[in-house]
Amino acid sequence: MSDVMDDGLNDEGLGNIWTTLEPAMGQRRRIDARVYEWLEAHDTTLAAEWLGLFKVAPFSAAGLVAVSAVAIAFATASPLLWLARLLL
Amino acid sequence: MIALQLESQLVLLFAALGRNLGGDAEPLAEDAIVRLVEQARAGDTGARQTLYVQHVDRVFRTVRGILRSDADAEDATQDAMLKVLTSLHTYTPRADARFAAWVMTIAVNTAHRRFRRRRPELTATGELPETADEDGADPAEGLDRARRRRALLIALAELSERERLIVSLRYGAELNASEIAATVGSESAAIRKILERTRTRLGARIEALLTPDGGRP
Repeated sequence: MSDVMDDGLNDEGLGNIWTTLEPAMGQRRRIDARVYEWLEAHDTTLAAEWLGLFKVAPFSAAGLVAVSAVAIAFATASPLLWLARLLL
Repeated sequence: MIALQLESQLVLLFAALGRNLGGDAEPLAEDAIVRLVEQARAGDTGARQTLYVQHVDRVFRTVRGILRSDADAEDATQDAMLKVLTSLHTYTPRADARFAAWVMTIAVNTAHRRFRRRRPELTATGELPETADEDGADPAEGLDRARRRRALLIALAELSERERLIVSLRYGAELNASEIAATVGSESAAIRKILERTRTRLGARIEALLTPDGGRP
């Protein structure tokens, strides 16, 4: 459907052209950052919840990393040893 | 200290990820939005984040139509979204108005406060968007978008403050006439009349500005 009527843009055309007023990436990033920083600084319940995602059990996080590292080592050790034996 | 900095970086990273991983996806239906509000009130952080990304761009393009300065629109959007996120407990669902109408009422009030504090220059309408070439966008497409944006801003500057508010709520916020009427404190019939009259003027002016001679007589 055309965006244009005899007397100019129609309803749909105006809706389309309004999308040009959306924030650019940089503007949106600044808004996001300032909103989250404000929440963090004012320690609202919401900010606490948001931060809670990352504050929860740092030792568990460290443990998860360690377990992951061991698992990766196990998964890669056998083929690497086999390759090394082959080369030697 | 390092932990705090790390947290701050993670929060920003999370925000960026939230945005890139479907944050700007298709608008949700009203019943889904109302469910998100209920979940957010119950402490569901993900629901609050989804509400944020569902409305932040819409708030920006609405207040941008009212304020005519990118910097003011950024500040007003930030203030309005903070108010929305921290006032969810005061929201009461209504049969005749969507959640977005409540968000836009907050956004408009925030924009009006800013407008009263610092009245923008009426001629400040022609700046290029700062990111015409962002995201690897086609430069020609970016230029066309900038040209259309400029035409819209010039045409908006020629409207009265009330007309600008009403068309911004219609096309920026995508509210219907009765939601706009509730937001600005007027009758639906009056809003429909203003919308029809303003749409015609605005549409014709933008068309004229987009012609090769830029609408010069």
